[in-house]
Amino acid sequence: MILKIHALGSVRLALLGMVLLAIGAALSYNNPVSTPVWVLVVPLAFLAINLLAAIATNPRINRRGGLLVFHIGLLAIIVLAGIGRLTHLDAQLEITEGSAFSPQDLTEVNKGPFHFGALDQIAFVQGSYTVEYAAGMVRGLTHSQVLMPDERGRLVTKVVGDDRPLVLEGYRFYTTFNKGFAPVLTWLPDPAIAPGIALPSMHTEVRVPRAQDAQERPASVQSAAPGEAITGTVHMPSYPLFEYKQDSAWTPPGGKEIKLWLRLKTGLREDAPWVLDGKDASGVLVVNAGARRVELQPGETVQLEGGRLRFERLTSWMGYKVFYDPTLHWLFVSAMVAIIGLGTHFWSRFGVRLPHTPAPSTGAGLKAAPASEISGGRGL
Amino acid sequence: MSDAIENFIGPATELPWLWAGLAAYALATFIAVVGVIRTQGRAVGAMAVSRSHEKLVLMIVATGVALIAIALAERWVRIGHGPFVNLFELLMSQLFSLGLVFTLVYWRMPVLRPSAVVALPLMGVLGGWVLALQPIDTPLPPTYHNDWLWAHVGLGKIFLALSLMGTGLAGVILLRHTQRFAAWFRQMPADEVLDGLAWRFMLLAFIFHSLMLTAGAVWAQDAWGRYWAWDALETSSFLNWLLLGASIHARLTYRIPIRVGAIAIIAVFIFAFITYFGTPFYSEAAHKGVI
Ligand code: HEM
Repeated sequence: MILKIHALGSVRLALLGMVLLAIGAALSYNNPVSTPVWVLVVPLAFLAINLLAAIATNPRINRRGGLLVFHIGLLAIIVLAGIGRLTHLDAQLEITEGSAFSPQDLTEVNKGPFHFGALDQIAFVQGSYTVEYAAGMVRGLTHSQVLMPDERGRLVTKVVGDDRPLVLEGYRFYTTFNKGFAPVLTWLPDPAIAPGIALPSMHTEVRVPRAQDAQERPASVQSAAPGEAITGTVHMPSYPLFEYKQDSAWTPPGGKEIKLWLRLKTGLREDAPWVLDGKDASGVLVVNAGARRVELQPGETVQLEGGRLRFERLTSWMGYKVFYDPTLHWLFVSAMVAIIGLGTHFWSRFGVRLPHTPAPSTGAGLKAAPASEISGGRGL
Repeated sequence: MSDAIENFIGPATELPWLWAGLAAYALATFIAVVGVIRTQGRAVGAMAVSRSHEKLVLMIVATGVALIAIALAERWVRIGHGPFVNLFELLMSQLFSLGLVFTLVYWRMPVLRPSAVVALPLMGVLGGWVLALQPIDTPLPPTYHNDWLWAHVGLGKIFLALSLMGTGLAGVILLRHTQRFAAWFRQMPADEVLDGLAWRFMLLAFIFHSLMLTAGAVWAQDAWGRYWAWDALETSSFLNWLLLGASIHARLTYRIPIRVGAIAIIAVFIFAFITYFGTPFYSEAAHKGVI
């Protein structure tokens, strides 16, 4: 039995595992959808078993403290990375300025089968944000304000952005380049037709071109009883990436599709530094419904088929990447412990002694000084 | 500075310092080669006398390092951020860090000084390359305002420099078996000793590579909301780490011939070279999500 485990822990198998892992890593380059995750899982599982057997039986590892710690650290990293993938969550979030986070707003959610995070405990309200641009429209720092209740229930403001995520309940919210403007709209259904209409649920699907792909995303429309006015926002495409294309469409309950186009004034400059700030922005909403074309200033209303549409005001939305992985800190600790172990191994082998005295040879490959005097020998 | 030079270099005031630093490296390479040629075949006892050129090499390389440090500082002040973004400044800062580690090792470990005739020309490749590039300024991406960037970049530089030292020794092991260069390295210890030393550098390089990967993962988590995503640099540097790890195991397990080991060290260095300086060519941005 011991012999079998010993064979399982052979360095030859470790080398095979490393070759398999290298192939898996090369195949995973750029995460092609056609590559199954097994190309990494199989070699890593193989290496983990091999490593465990070696740690248990091989005195060349388990009798040398530093090396043992290093290999245990490697094993811990493999196990933790596996746990991380089973429990993680990745998602995108678009949140309108002034609105509170709701787990339902997450899109492109990708999570492990054992993800049990406390998403519903998260409470924050998106505030305003600014994004700095250098000349030539090169994006600089993002400062995004978020408001959260403190221990006493009072709202406190925190500024996040770029590499400073908002971390709540272990979930990390990172600002992205994906952000833009949104008209706040109120739909007032005509009394004559309103009672018979069943309003759609809170989220009305509206096709909006995305920054990177062409998926749909919801416009948030606050709920209302039948016949009552509803207010919500339609997120326009990412700004300034799609500055030339600030349009979208929305179908009100009981009405016909309305095409919306936002003519923005943001102070955008291509040739000089500039700051994107919702407070400095204004916009005119161009409404196209059937043959009608109307331009609305904030506060103005237009009568359309089935109801009236009011352009309340202009607001903004911020796009976040959401990430959750409970193993993050442990992965870091394991990596550091492993490296310290290897460092100790190196130190105990070679210390700080440096060979000062040249040990010349009289010809290539001829040993003039014992190798061990300088290098600690072949076992290095 | 004369008007002609000023017209030529434009706003890039760091260029004269860089050129002077590269000239120093080139001169040191020349003296190192001449020195090795002149000491070939000398009796071992005569070494101390004939190795006076080594002091010169040490002083000139150290001067080169100082000049490139001034060039880096000049550029830093001029463009307002460190040499972290485009290839011109990456090469320039590598020339500094490789030169610095080389100088320290050359100074503290006289036994391996003749291997400078391998290590210095390798740095020369970077020197020639940087001359072919424009000293343009690329704005610092928003996610580069992060302390982990420093750790990541610094640790990576130490890894590359230690691999360069290992590669210098591996080069000697291979060269001394050719007829042409056999006599150049008579003053150096036997292959077994060089092999032991070279792998000692590689094991230390492996430690710094592991640290670089860890610091990089922490930075990536902060910067792009994921610690690992198999982008061009991550994939390449992970393969590089595996190659080095596998080489270390193969050497211990199979007792592979010294010269095969030397080839493995050079392969690790070439791989690292491609990782550091090749990825900008096959990847839109060094790291995914940089833009
Ligand atoms: C997965 C299964 C693994 C096994 C069974 C294994 C086994 C061993 C053994 C037995 C030694 C001691 C060799 C000796 O001194 O004679 C060793 C050393 C070492 N291993 Fe591993 N190892 C594994 C994975 C790894 C991995 C993935 C890496 C990193 C890529 C790694 C890096 C090292 C290093 C750096 C040494 C120190 C060598 C030295 O002292 O010069 N090992 N390993």
